[in-house]
Amino acid sequence: MGFFNLLAKPGPKMSWGLGLCLFLLALIAYVAVAESRHRENPDDKVVPTFAKMVDGFYSVAFEKDRNEEYRLWVDTWASFKRVGIAALFLIFAVLLGLHMGLFPYWESLFLKFMLFFDKVPALALLPILFIAFGLGETSKIALITIGVFPTITLDTYLRAKNIAGEQIMKGLTLGATHAEIAYRIVLPQILPDVLDTIRLNFKAMILFLIAAEAVSSDVGLGYRIFLVRRYLAMDIIIPYVIWISLLAFLADAGLRWFIQKKFRWRMQGAG
Amino acid sequence: MKFRLIFVFLLCGLVLAHSPEPPAKAKTYKVAWSVYVGWMPWDYAGHSGILKKWADKYGINIELVRMDYIPSVEAYVAGQVDACVMTNMECLDMPAASGIDSTALIVGDYSNGNDAILTRDNIDIKGLKGKQISLVELSVSHYLLSRCLTMNGLKEKDVNLINTSDADIAPIFLSNSSQKVVVTWNPMVMQVEQAPGINKIFTSADIPGEVLDLMVVNTKTLQADPALGKALTGAWFEVLALISKRGPETDKALEFMASSAGCSAVEFKNQLKTTAMFWTPQAALDFTTSEEIRTKMEFVRQFCFDKGLLGEGSDSADIFGVSYPGGEVQGNKNKVRMRFDASFVKMAAEGSL
Amino acid sequence: MSSDFILEFHDVYKSYDDLSGTKLVLNDIDLQVRKGEFITLLGPSGCGKSTMLRLILGSEKPSKGTVMIDGLPAEGPSRDRGIVYQKYSLFPHLTVLDNVIFGLDLEQFSQFSRYLQPAKYRRERKKHQERGAAMLERMGLGHALYKYPHQLSGGMRQRVAIAQAMIMEPKILLMDEPFGALDDNSRTDMQLFILEQWERTHMTVFFVTHDLVEALFLGSRLLVLSQYYTTAKDHNEGSKIVTDREVPGGFPKPTSFKNSPHLKELLNEVRRSGLDPEFARHITEFDLSHRDAMRTVTPEEWGNGQKEQ
Repeated sequence: MGFFNLLAKPGPKMSWGLGLCLFLLALIAYVAVAESRHRENPDDKVVPTFAKMVDGFYSVAFEKDRNEEYRLWVDTWASFKRVGIAALFLIFAVLLGLHMGLFPYWESLFLKFMLFFDKVPALALLPILFIAFGLGETSKIALITIGVFPTITLDTYLRAKNIAGEQIMKGLTLGATHAEIAYRIVLPQILPDVLDTIRLNFKAMILFLIAAEAVSSDVGLGYRIFLVRRYLAMDIIIPYVIWISLLAFLADAGLRWFIQKKFRWRMQGAG
Repeated sequence: MKFRLIFVFLLCGLVLAHSPEPPAKAKTYKVAWSVYVGWMPWDYAGHSGILKKWADKYGINIELVRMDYIPSVEAYVAGQVDACVMTNMECLDMPAASGIDSTALIVGDYSNGNDAILTRDNIDIKGLKGKQISLVELSVSHYLLSRCLTMNGLKEKDVNLINTSDADIAPIFLSNSSQKVVVTWNPMVMQVEQAPGINKIFTSADIPGEVLDLMVVNTKTLQADPALGKALTGAWFEVLALISKRGPETDKALEFMASSAGCSAVEFKNQLKTTAMFWTPQAALDFTTSEEIRTKMEFVRQFCFDKGLLGEGSDSADIFGVSYPGGEVQGNKNKVRMRFDASFVKMAAEGSL
Repeated sequence: MSSDFILEFHDVYKSYDDLSGTKLVLNDIDLQVRKGEFITLLGPSGCGKSTMLRLILGSEKPSKGTVMIDGLPAEGPSRDRGIVYQKYSLFPHLTVLDNVIFGLDLEQFSQFSRYLQPAKYRRERKKHQERGAAMLERMGLGHALYKYPHQLSGGMRQRVAIAQAMIMEPKILLMDEPFGALDDNSRTDMQLFILEQWERTHMTVFFVTHDLVEALFLGSRLLVLSQYYTTAKDHNEGSKIVTDREVPGGFPKPTSFKNSPHLKELLNEVRRSGLDPEFARHITEFDLSHRDAMRTVTPEEWGNGQKEQ
């Protein structure tokens, strides 16, 4: 059997087949449970059938609701804005980490604080954020930002610090100023890795988004999930969850593609 | 080879997980409850042994499970628990709308001020127009607001709703003076109204008998084994009788309930004042069999339908039926999903439990 | 004080603090280097070759004494000293051409001015590109202008690194074991390559290596830095220059030098000068035969001129 063969080379068909295997298994398990529950109770809302979920998804995506809005798109746009603005703030996280990794005074000033800050469970801060920033967009963006900011900063810091000292010396002998070394030698080199880290933190950002929207909101993907939970509309919740996962997956794939395309120099053996 | 071994292990795990528990002598029922002044007597019933006494009498075991409110109702709908405390509104839009036939075994009380609309800056009901209002959407608070607006000639479109989790609603409102209006329930109402400059402009006392706090049992389970209904009803009214008396034992009971609810005895008593408890089986029986309950339920039914809580596809509130002790049914007679049952309360009133 | 020398060490000591206290690495180094010399620095591992290089580079300061570049004390690293390392000399995110013209670009435009004067920047950059391309062409790298460093062989990378440093026309080109990671064939190629470059430009090169043959083949002047020596004192700490001599056989040497019988003799001689812990020479016997060689010695070290038995 090939499963414990280190040198196994599954063909492309086999690879795809195996890759889809677990998806299919999950699907079958779900359908089986949904069917059995619906045999007992045709109105069951806890495990809706596919037909119901398709209906549910169709109605939120392509039919106007009571407020004359296409809910799914309105929610998606609102949540996207929140995550997007928070992601823009991560530029500062990257710059801070870069400076901390290169300039000793920055390191002395920020490192200990950031290491501690990184350990603070941001979700527990949530009520404080709402008190400090009010109920509007600010507090939600703040939560998402605060949730991942220290991680990104510290990651950038470590990567900047790991840049070989030779590179910096080399830059100086070519007449670069200290700022030019930071922005033209170090930053472009660590950027793809930092973007990778940001990519891996998408999940955390979405988690924080949903948490923030659950506490107080009037629109958004997380808001809708927690709202319709009040009447057990799993036929909407499950498509919403799949939709969020899909968006996150696409964003991840997009960024991965961008990194590969944009940073062609970053192949193995660089250095 | 190794692979096969893992497979065998997995199978064993599956079989074990699904093998039925060894048959117990007495059947065990799970009853979920959540913290709310009108439901705290259940906690005391479990703590004091009164519930066990009644369960033993009818030869069953009853296990009380403390949960958060919405998860408890979800657990009930999913069939993880056999009975659960909830309001008439959630009973309609969660179990009934999900096809679970439920029986309101005991109407314990109705909210008589425990839910309230509170405002800053002396905003009155007319002044709600155009305001941002924090509340848990699609909850009893939402119902209260909706009734208040309708009674005063306003529409929901006239206000902006901000869905806010009940855990954070009080501190958020208190710390943001830009928030002018909040709708919530006790104990948050008490926390909020204690702050200076805040007025209660509308409470559930203005719509008495509409927000009912129930003990709901799965109808199938109840019909298969009425012992559960008898034991719960017996225990409930024994605890209520104890609380409505005076004396050291009563004080101890109240103190226990207060600390379990996370407030002081004084605060707890204050909350009891805004809760219209049906202290005796007779009082509960009278209300459950009255004409009034049907007219009040009609408001709630319509609200649930208007908000799409009975299912997005439903075209009228009559998609399923609600039955009453006299045999009357609101809505679809062939699809009764919520039953007000007075038979157990009646037994208690007659002393035949 | 104007100076004939492009590089000078005057009574330079360098020590480091570590957990066990202060450790002296360089003990009273004196050196004078003229323009156009090709210095090779040899020494056993741990003797402080790289420390000496860093002092010239300016990334470290002497604990005592002065290092002078063209008559002025050496400040932090700057564009008048170029450097080629064994690794990490090239910027992995830039193409070969961009690596080479990196310094020229920086010289003309600061961080932000490139964005303020885009037209001028494009024009100047074009000139730089032409100059860089011409240089790379001459070095036989014309086919690799738009490749990234990771696509090049080790030898090619070092060629680009040398081009990158030379295009800035530094006063001294520092090379820190630049061919240490290459296989024998490429190493020989690179040795010839660097000699060709020297013949063309007559630049001053300070070349650190631990390969004896390389040091003798490449250098016009050989320095041996070693911690293995004796003095009149019981205890010696820190390395001294134990050899400072002209390398016989002319400069630059023909490849045949590597096969000449003379080389063996020379190798043995240099080895005995202090490269091997078993052949520690007394301070009075150091080979400081180069015409610019100089040193200062304390009486305690010198004793009364006698080798102690």
